[in-house]
Formats: sequence, C-alpha cells, structure tokens
Amino acid sequence: MNTVIDAHNISKVYNPTTIPVYAVNNVHLHLQKGEFTALVGPSGSGKTTLLNMIGGLDRPDEGNIFINGIDITKLSANELISFRLQNIGFVFQSFNLIPVLTAKENVEFIMQLQKASKQQREERVKTLFAQIGLQDKLNERPSRLSGGQQQRVAVARALASRPQFVLADEPTANLDTKSAFNLLDIMAKLNMEENITFLFSTHDQRVIDRARRVITLVDGRIVQDTAEVSTQHEEAAAVKT
Amino acid sequence: MIFIMAWRNIWRNKMRSLVIILSIAIGLFAGIAVLALYKGMMKSRVRAVIDAEVGHLQLHDRHFKKDFEPAFVITGGVAVLKSITAMAGVKSAAPRSITNGMLATTTGSAGVQINGIVPHLEYATSQLKNKIIEGKPFDTAKQNEVMIGKKLATKMKVKTRSKLVLTFTDTSGNIVSAAFKVAAIYQSDNAPLDERNVYVTMTDLNALLSIGNAFHEIAVLLNNDNEVKNMYQQLQNKFPVCQVESWQEISPETDLLVKTTDQYSYIIMVIIMFALAFGIINTMLMAILERTREIGMMMALGTSKIKIFNLVLLETFFLTLAGTPAGLLVGWLLTGYYTKHGLDLSGMGRDMMSSFGFNTMIYPEFPWDKLTGILLIVFCTAILSCLFPAIKALQLKPVDALRN
Repeated sequence: MNTVIDAHNISKVYNPTTIPVYAVNNVHLHLQKGEFTALVGPSGSGKTTLLNMIGGLDRPDEGNIFINGIDITKLSANELISFRLQNIGFVFQSFNLIPVLTAKENVEFIMQLQKASKQQREERVKTLFAQIGLQDKLNERPSRLSGGQQQRVAVARALASRPQFVLADEPTANLDTKSAFNLLDIMAKLNMEENITFLFSTHDQRVIDRARRVITLVDGRIVQDTAEVSTQHEEAAAVKT
Repeated sequence: MIFIMAWRNIWRNKMRSLVIILSIAIGLFAGIAVLALYKGMMKSRVRAVIDAEVGHLQLHDRHFKKDFEPAFVITGGVAVLKSITAMAGVKSAAPRSITNGMLATTTGSAGVQINGIVPHLEYATSQLKNKIIEGKPFDTAKQNEVMIGKKLATKMKVKTRSKLVLTFTDTSGNIVSAAFKVAAIYQSDNAPLDERNVYVTMTDLNALLSIGNAFHEIAVLLNNDNEVKNMYQQLQNKFPVCQVESWQEISPETDLLVKTTDQYSYIIMVIIMFALAFGIINTMLMAILERTREIGMMMALGTSKIKIFNLVLLETFFLTLAGTPAGLLVGWLLTGYYTKHGLDLSGMGRDMMSSFGFNTMIYPEFPWDKLTGILLIVFCTAILSCLFPAIKALQLKPVDALRN
C-alpha cells in the first residue's frame, strides 16, 4: 500500500513563552492510500489542530509532515495554497459552501481554480452529483438545501479536485441521524469503490462505528490506534499458526 | 466564476450596496454639476469680456496705455477703423476716445474713465444699449449726455436727468470741466467696471479734449472666437504703428480664470471622490469582516491570494460601475435641462455675482471634454479604496478565519 500521510513527531504548542499548552504532542501518524480513518477524542484533545496541520492550514512547531513524500512543513504559504488545491479535499463541520454560488458552481469552483476545461468540469460535476444523489439540486443555492444536502455537496466539492485524501472535521456534527447515515454511506461507498482516503475528526459514535481505523487522541497524544492493535493481532495470529 | 461571485456578493446586502451605489452616483453627479457649472460660468464670463467689455481685439497707439495720455491718439484712426471694418471675419469695430478724470456731483466726487463713443458702433460692439436699466440711449440731437453705471449712480446718488460735472485734462495739459446730464444708467455683469466707466458721445469728448475726429482705441469684435490669433497677426502686420492686444492680454485675470478653472474643477472632483472613498472603504471592510470565515474557507480550499484580491477589487469595481451610469445620466439630464433653460442664481444676489463679473443666469454645459478624466478619477478612487480592505482580506490566515 502507498503511504499518503506520514507525520513524524509533530507537536503544536500554544503560549510557548508563558505556560506552554501542547495541543498536539509528539504525534506519529501514517495513513495508507484508501484508509477510512476516524480521529476521535474528547473536546480539546487536539483533533482539529492535528487535522489542520495535516491539511496544511496550520504549521507544527516541531516535526515534519510528508504528503506523498513532500514535506509540507517546508512549503511557503503560497506553495501550500497550491498544494492544498491539488492534493487535499476538505469537508468542514458547518458545510462552508459559498452562499452566492449554486451547488454545481460550488463544486465547479475548485476545478476552475485547477484550470480544468468546461467539458472536464461538466463531466466531473455530473459524476459527483450522481454519486451524492443530488442531480436534481444542481442549480440550487446552499440556502435552499438542507444541512445533509449541503454536506453532501461539500463532499462532492472536496472530491472535485481528485485529491490524494479528504480531511473531514466533524462532518456529521450538524446533521440529524438520517442525514448523517446518508453522508457516511456516500463516503464509505466512495472509499470502497474509488479507494479514496478519508481522515475525519469526530466524537460521533455513528462515524466511529463506520470507520475501519480509529485513532484516539487525548491531551494531544495518540493513546490508541486500532491499526496498531489489528497489526499486533495479525502478528500474534501469524505466530500461532 | 470570480466575476459571478463578485457580482452576486455585492447584492448579498442590498441596502448597503444600494447606499454606496447611490453615494457614488451622487458624488459623480456632484462632480459633473460642479464642472458643468464652472464651464457655464467661465463661458459666460468670457462671452461678457468679449461681447460686452473689451471685444476680441483692441488697437491703441503704442504709448497710450502707459499713462492714458490723451495726446496719444491712433495715427490715421479713421482710415484704420475703415480698413478694419472692411476686413473679412470682423463683425464690428468701435472707436473710443478715452481719458481719465473726475466725476463730481453735489454729493461728492469719484475718479472715472470717460469713454467717448460713437453710439451706434458702440451698441453693436459692446451691447451698451442692452445694458441700460434706466433712461434712454444717447439722443444724437442733444449735447453733453452721459451714461453711468448703476453702482456709480448709487454711490453718487445720481438719477437719470441729474447733472454732474466731468473734469479732466486736454491734450495741452489744460484742465477742462463740463457739465453733463445723465441720459441713462446701465448695469453690466461686471460691477467694478460699471463703477469706473462712464460713456459720453465722442463728439462731446473730442471737442473738450481738442483732438478733432481722432480717438484712442478701436475695439474689434470678430465673427468667430477661433479667429483671434489669426486676426491678431493680420492687424499687427497691417498696422505696425499700433499696439494690438487680444482679449486675453487686456483681461489677463479672465484668461487666468479660464485656465485655472479646469484645475480647480478636478481638485473639487478629487475632494468629492476622496470623501466617497471612505464610504467605499467602510462598505468593503464590512463586507470582508462579515465574510472572514468564507474567505478563510476559500483560501483553505486553494484559492490563491491574487484571486481573493481580485474578488475584492471586482466587488468594488462593480459597485462603482453600478453607480457611475446613474450619476452620469442624472448629471447629463439635469445639465441638459439647465443648458436649455439656464440656472438662475439671482437668489445669491445679482450684486454679489456681478461684483465678480458673472451673470446671474448661468447656462451650465455637460463637460464632455473632461468625461475621460472624470471616469478615470472615479475608477482610481474605486481601486484605491479597495486596497485597504483587500489587504485586510489577504492578511487572513485560513486556520484563524475558519475558527471565526
């Protein structure tokens, strides 16, 4: 399997000169292509900070983050913008669609930034909206869509640029149960069928139950990673046989 | 897509955008109104100088204007006048005998310039007849009639048919006095000139000055303003012993006024736009602050800083673009109306206006010649106004903006 995210010893400290608070403390994280991973932990455990650093929105105070072999901690602000556009898809907790654009335009916007042709954009939009099941809402403004529909458009937007992986920060936090399950079904399907890598922060049990790997963060440290547990189980099973 | 977003963004807060669009329209209209009014006033002033005061060109003896010595008459004046009148492009020419003297009444005295005129030629050249507000024009059958300005008449408490005495020196240096009866009181758009100039017939004045049929000045009115330079040259070549002057040389203050008006107009326009710039800055800054999270999200998704900058720039540009046609249209319509019907400023007082040499009825003109300059000022204002909000937007960090 290909390593998509490779984070080494990353730390993020707030108030370093007065009373240092470690939002993320010496974290190692490796994510392979096609993983469907949940980053869990109580509020203030550092999930969003870790996600922001992996997404190139924030910089670690220590350590390095390699995305497909590129150390993004060494990139300038402008290089990071371009890197995010080409490699990372984002789904935010509060949807964050551009309110003045229609659902279709929101998705197209990213591809236009990538300078995709009109035909490429049209085809991609058609495919994505079929995948999220909103073909009939193409020309609706976000204000006319339900929360669940908006979040599905946000997923389509995250995938529009054909990113290396998608980072989702509490994607189901503002959704009702039905919409949350619907969204998770879509994400799981995309993961299974198109091998798209998902990493989402959550404390929603519905999401945790669907994740194939769960990383638990407490006080900025990884206290449990199911990938390591399953690897140990596999190793133990192999020894037994 | 950035164009679409910018256009739709300005309508997110309709009331705010409409207020700023209206401000731009009013600012532009105000600028145009000032320019149109100035243009109309300057044109009116220039017309008054040419048509009612000095004419396009004047001829004198080369020494006359140094001391206004009555002995320095135009050599062969009658022949010169005849020759000028016959020249192509000359509408009319009026001879004037001029001397400085004292006007005395029972109530006081005042220094005046006494102009001896040939009535029908003067009426055609300086519209003196049209300026009469009281009394009658010169009666050729009568002797020693005088026409004085309203301001002087008021100052000297003189009415029509009042008697006054004019005292001056003749060509031999003798002091000459003569009693004159006020035939008419005139009022032009130039009160200082009215206060200083009195008119008598050339026959009466020349007899007192002992200069026969000679005179000191020929005022020339042309058919076309654009012919001044050409005619100036022709007259200089034709009458080398005479001093030829254009209206710009005779009335340099008017020429200076005309030349500086453009600069003043632009300064006023810039001041209006400067005030407007703060409105635009405020609106755009509010728009940016309200959309901090959205801009942060756009940056997070990979929107470059230049695109964010362009978005703010385009929004300002669209706001300006929406206000500009409205301002231009209102400016054009109102200016057009007043160009046709005139703008009566008599409410400001005729005396006040005429003390500056302006008519109370102004005919503003839409400043087509300055339209490019005006639009340039407006769009520069828009661009400069958006710089601060745009820089603010660029300073946002996606991670902080998203946390907003």
